[in-house]
Amino acid sequence: MAFVAAAYVVVAGLFFAYVLTLAARQRLIAEMADAVIQQKERS
Amino acid sequence: MRLLLIAGMLLMLVGIAWALLAAPTEVFQGIPQRIMYIHVPSVITAYVALMVVFVGSALFLWRKDARWDRLAHGAGELAVLFISMTLLSGAIWGKPVWGTWWSWDARLTTTLILWFIYVGYLVVRAWAPGTRGARAAAVIGIVGVLNIPLIHWSAILLRTLHPQPTVFRPEGPALPLSMLAPLVVSIVAYLLVFAALLVVRVRQERALSRLVEALEGA
Repeated sequence: MAFVAAAYVVVAGLFFAYVLTLAARQRLIAEMADAVIQQKERS
Repeated sequence: MRLLLIAGMLLMLVGIAWALLAAPTEVFQGIPQRIMYIHVPSVITAYVALMVVFVGSALFLWRKDARWDRLAHGAGELAVLFISMTLLSGAIWGKPVWGTWWSWDARLTTTLILWFIYVGYLVVRAWAPGTRGARAAAVIGIVGVLNIPLIHWSAILLRTLHPQPTVFRPEGPALPLSMLAPLVVSIVAYLLVFAALLVVRVRQERALSRLVEALEGA
């Protein structure tokens, strides 16, 4: 049972790590978009 | 897209519960055989992702349209994720059943080569941004897919520790319905989640390219 649990945890871990990188990238894009808007407003 | 992700995640939970609690225990391998319900969906989803890379890359080289490149890029990233899941779940399955985490046999080695090819694909994308990098990556994306038939036939034609295909066989699946049903549910769940994540990833790439255009125009 330990091997089954380990396999499911590893696969779930990989999946959630990827979802977290997607979320982090999304936040970065939103910050970049804000910076571009502010730059355009200033100019 | 959100609906697709929620549906995929819910179906994934159903698949996991079915696999762990309701599916019968296999006679020869015992409980470790339940790893099949995450291992097989991972590899099938990886193959679907690689087909998307192939189609996206070929259409990008032909049409020179960045939309196809963004599709191939997103699918390539997800392909690496699902091949990683396949390799790791396979290694953990191998230890109790074969007595080893890894063996340099044909099926495992060709799958590892596939993983390296698409990690290389992502490295090229990261280190050579722009059209030249995209074109080079597209060539890797197309050539790498040629490894898939080799992986599939390696377990059939060569002597390998890995069992012969039990689902995709000319004479039909070798599994009883009580095992096939939770497996199919898990495969559908993985494909739904893959589709949802691909949409997110492609939208992110589109937003990034628009931001770069806006910065260059400012």
